[in-house]
Amino acid sequence: MADDRLSMIFGALADPTRRAILARLADGEATVTELTTPFSISMPAISRHLKVLERAGLIARSRSGQHLSSTLQPGPLQEATEWMERYRRFWDASFDRLDAHLRQAAPGKERQ
Amino acid sequence: MSQYIEITRIFDAPREVVYRAFTDPDQLAQWFGPVGCWVPRESVDVDPRVGGHLRFVMTAPDVTSPVDATFTEVAENELLVAAMEASGIPGVAGSIRVELRLEFHDEGDGKTRLELRQGPFATGQLGSDTRSGWESSFTKLDALL
Repeated sequence: MADDRLSMIFGALADPTRRAILARLADGEATVTELTTPFSISMPAISRHLKVLERAGLIARSRSGQHLSSTLQPGPLQEATEWMERYRRFWDASFDRLDAHLRQAAPGKERQ
Repeated sequence: MSQYIEITRIFDAPREVVYRAFTDPDQLAQWFGPVGCWVPRESVDVDPRVGGHLRFVMTAPDVTSPVDATFTEVAENELLVAAMEASGIPGVAGSIRVELRLEFHDEGDGKTRLELRQGPFATGQLGSDTRSGWESSFTKLDALL
């Protein structure tokens, strides 16, 4: 994944409305009209958010008849999550060592 | 997706003991960092007061990464919040800035529940070099683990 793309993904995720749109799309594809209703913001505003999400590769848009539908693309989200998971693994591995260190520091303590 | 990492972990030791493992330089040098990565004792400096610093150097083969954190909230045996800055990461021109929050909760039975929150991992901190720098050092770590 290109580095600037990862920045675009995090940029797209930084907005609460866009995260809500992604959560809605996790339940299935939706048209702009269907997305406008629950978020009570204008159609052009939703369209702008969708454009940001599309550029980040988080959604795909396809036309069926008169309607433009948006679909969640899980791949990039997964890659961004994996990047952050590395930090989590760093801490988890450190805490394994802390656990051992604490046991060593208090050898008399027994588990019940 | 949250821009924060959140980890909850229970340690079989009382709060003050776990808190000291973070604030006593001798102890921090013994456990901090995954296997294959270490923190030289002489690089560790901890002053757990608001405005005080937590400094150490993360070291791995070909990696020397100084970390400088300034405490913004401190409650002995309960809470540590610090603004962290890490630099010297291979391939990184600048530095990464995130907040680290550590809560020490009494879990009963002489145990402690540690709650960690780190972030935000935001666009501004993810420069193109930053990611590849971390990527390469983590790859080295992966190989060692």
